[in-house]
Amino acid sequence: MSEPQRTPFVDSLLEAAAQARLPGSGIGWLDAARRENLEAFAAGGLPDTRMEAWKYTALRALGQRRFAPGDAQAATRSIDVSQFDLPGVDGPSLVFVNGVFRKDLSHVDQLPEGLSLQPLSQALLGDIEPLRFALSRHYREGGDVFARLNAALAGDGVVLRVAAGAQVKQAVRLLFIGAPAEGPLAWHVRHVIELGDGAELSLVEQHVSSGAQQDLGTQVADVVLRQGAKLRQVTLQKASEGSTLVRHDSVHLDADAHAELYVMELGGSLVRHDLHAVLAGDKSRLDTRGVFTLRGRQHIDTQMSIRHQALNTASESVWRGVADERSRGVFRGAIVVAEGADGSDASLSSKNLLLSGQAEIDTKPELEIYADEVKAAHGATVGQLDERSLFYLRSRGIPLAEARAMLTAAFCRAVFDGLADDGLREHINTQLMAHLPSA
Amino acid sequence: MNTTQPSTAHDDTKNAMTTETTERSDLSATTLRDNAEVAEALGRRYEAGFTTDIETEYLPAGLSEDIVRQLSALKNEPEWMTEWRLKAYRHWLTMPTPDWAKLNLSPIDYQSISYYAAPKSGPKSLDEVDPKLLETYDKLGVPLHERAKLAGVAVDAVFDSVSVGTTFRKELAEAGVIFCSMSEAIREHPELVQQYLGSVVPVGDNYFAALNSAVFSDGSFVFIPKGVRCPMELSTYFRINAINTGQFERTLIVCEDGAYVSYLEGCTAPMRDENQLHAAVVELVALEKAQIKYSTVQNWYPGDENGVGGIYNFVTKRGDCRGNDSKISWTQVETGSAITWKYPSCVLRGDRSVGEFYSVALTHHRQQADTGTKMIHIGKGTKSKIVSKGISAGRSSNSYRGLVKVEKGAEGARNYTQCDSLLIGKKCGAHTFPYMEVKNPTAIVEHEATTSKISDDQLFYCRSRGIGEEDAVSMIVDGFCKQVFRELPMEFAVEAKKLLEVSLEGAVG
Repeated sequence: MSEPQRTPFVDSLLEAAAQARLPGSGIGWLDAARRENLEAFAAGGLPDTRMEAWKYTALRALGQRRFAPGDAQAATRSIDVSQFDLPGVDGPSLVFVNGVFRKDLSHVDQLPEGLSLQPLSQALLGDIEPLRFALSRHYREGGDVFARLNAALAGDGVVLRVAAGAQVKQAVRLLFIGAPAEGPLAWHVRHVIELGDGAELSLVEQHVSSGAQQDLGTQVADVVLRQGAKLRQVTLQKASEGSTLVRHDSVHLDADAHAELYVMELGGSLVRHDLHAVLAGDKSRLDTRGVFTLRGRQHIDTQMSIRHQALNTASESVWRGVADERSRGVFRGAIVVAEGADGSDASLSSKNLLLSGQAEIDTKPELEIYADEVKAAHGATVGQLDERSLFYLRSRGIPLAEARAMLTAAFCRAVFDGLADDGLREHINTQLMAHLPSA
Repeated sequence: MNTTQPSTAHDDTKNAMTTETTERSDLSATTLRDNAEVAEALGRRYEAGFTTDIETEYLPAGLSEDIVRQLSALKNEPEWMTEWRLKAYRHWLTMPTPDWAKLNLSPIDYQSISYYAAPKSGPKSLDEVDPKLLETYDKLGVPLHERAKLAGVAVDAVFDSVSVGTTFRKELAEAGVIFCSMSEAIREHPELVQQYLGSVVPVGDNYFAALNSAVFSDGSFVFIPKGVRCPMELSTYFRINAINTGQFERTLIVCEDGAYVSYLEGCTAPMRDENQLHAAVVELVALEKAQIKYSTVQNWYPGDENGVGGIYNFVTKRGDCRGNDSKISWTQVETGSAITWKYPSCVLRGDRSVGEFYSVALTHHRQQADTGTKMIHIGKGTKSKIVSKGISAGRSSNSYRGLVKVEKGAEGARNYTQCDSLLIGKKCGAHTFPYMEVKNPTAIVEHEATTSKISDDQLFYCRSRGIGEEDAVSMIVDGFCKQVFRELPMEFAVEAKKLLEVSLEGAVG
């Protein structure tokens, strides 16, 4: 590859790094990891579309933008958090404003037994050894440019642990609020989440905004499920219309662990979500359900890879995409069955609705199979609403626009049918209806 | 709920999965017993692996502008052709070797290859062809000469780099069909060649196409004039014989308005320990209402069971449906080559034009295949269908890589893709990389893929009916490929089936 150009984007972030006073600095290994990731970020710059992982997401425009290193007032901005409340989700919560932890808005006082929940900035002051493995990671893949950036600059985030055998009844909520500041700024959060043997947790990750801003947010999460652990995570992404949000989740499952991940992507102007899961233990299971609905000039890119590397593992993924107006939806779902992962059962479905002549959908389901005792299948479609169903509804006196909205919503909401929490499911459906095109 | 037409895809996929995850039952016991047989079968030799000892004229190994000029001079080519080659060569020099395919190969030394090898005797007509050469084709089962008449197939045979004989000249000429070697076409139909050559696969299209454009030695040229239905199936046999040579042939088929042709291509090579390079370019042009059916049975030497030797097969095949209502159909059976890198594509430019791709790719031992297709929908109401069957055995790797692209103007475009992979053994890999890019909201694009192994139930059923294990496997594989074999002309279907059987020997257990 040719020498990357030093873009205003890279320059502004390197300047931010130079003046950053990050929590935890002074810890030898952490400083080294931050420095090395920063060097890799500076050397690699932003990838272009010739790189496979970024084939459908051009970063040229982003490269020309500059971001302020952070929000000095983040700790004091007054924000009404109640507007983001979710029905039935009233357990412990951590709230971050522009990437900065807000104790005043969070609820961490009475944690259920077995749950440990604290912001990274605070965790770094205590026993940091358990964090070492996750935080000293190096991102060597050329496409992991934002993970490198995050590793270099993240000073806060979530450290969550559930002790072995503990079952946390109430859903834990992580709320990330983008608040308008003086100019576009960049924030970075880093999460380390671990569920001990047989632990159970329900987690809600919420990205919202309290106004219109054009920030860059990056998030890297390492999630580990020990033997027999169960995680249900619902991610609701409704960032502000002008914002850029890049999330990089790694999920590791030991034997008999089960993760259910629900993702709803509604907001943001440029959104990228990398989800890498490894089914490392026998009989582990992963279910992913996701919906992205786009309008305006939104660009949402989901890159999912699921690696089966133990016996009798299973994964099932159902994703739906809707692209309207001038938006572009990108989905890649790769399933890898490693040598020896006999008895794996993997399926993936990616169905997409293209509603406008200016919109585009690019989908790429992949299978990479190295074992023979497996079931693996994927299906992908790009199409439009069924004329006959539309006709049926209209013949019952429902106007065209409404009929289209009904069918589009039905297309999406099926994904969340399996979500056990009724209140949350209804909330998601309402949000979907509100976001979907009505004409 | 049925909100989109393709909405049943996922459910169907699930049902279509054939593998059972039951434990391996009596297989291992049988395997032990059959070990001796298997060992013998493993040693089975590549049947087309002989060499023919005839005098051959070479160009010295290496590639430079001088070599390109010499090659062009040897072939008495006009100035424009030489310039065309040089342009390609200069462009090739600026290109990096592609590395995106899922292939593991050692770098190719382009300077150690001789870019031209021709049987010295220089045949003028089929009767003058070296009898030894004819013998070779006999061994290969090519219906050249009398046998051609029986089979009713017109054959153009390319031996190393030079076209050695074209049968059925007269009959074809009466119909107005031009079927000759590329060198001849350059001499005798320069206006047609100039008009169409490189118009589908431009000189700088990709690394191997550029190389081919610079050094291609021969190939077939087919021209079917307006309204003519080619009276017989046309066919080319390619053979690499000489050592340290590469074969670079170029095929150009043009079908004018309303014309039809069915074209067959077959290939073999002797067994050698070095890897030999084959980089061909095939261009198809279909004008209004024209139809081209292109079938390939590729059986280049695959290398031995340890992956030594074998042909590197880097082929660019592309069809251009230029006219409205035209149709191009690719059918391929790929069993040979150490490495296959090949993506027969259709550019669906004309309104209501149709592209089809049917493929069986089988890899065994250490073969690697990265093959698939591209369907580019540009015209209104264009349709494409892709059926790909991959079979991996031994330690091989078999990938399907495809692109379905619907451009903004392709109102009502429709695509259906199905790719199934079958795994035989624990050390092989089967991969699917389909790209779908859709820019038109009236298009419907569907893709389905499954990966499975031969189910123990199926095997057990056959075995309980007294069918031996290998026969049972080849029966099941045959059934798996049926959808594609159906598309092949009859003689080819028989050959393809036989080829699969031979290639799969020793794969079970």
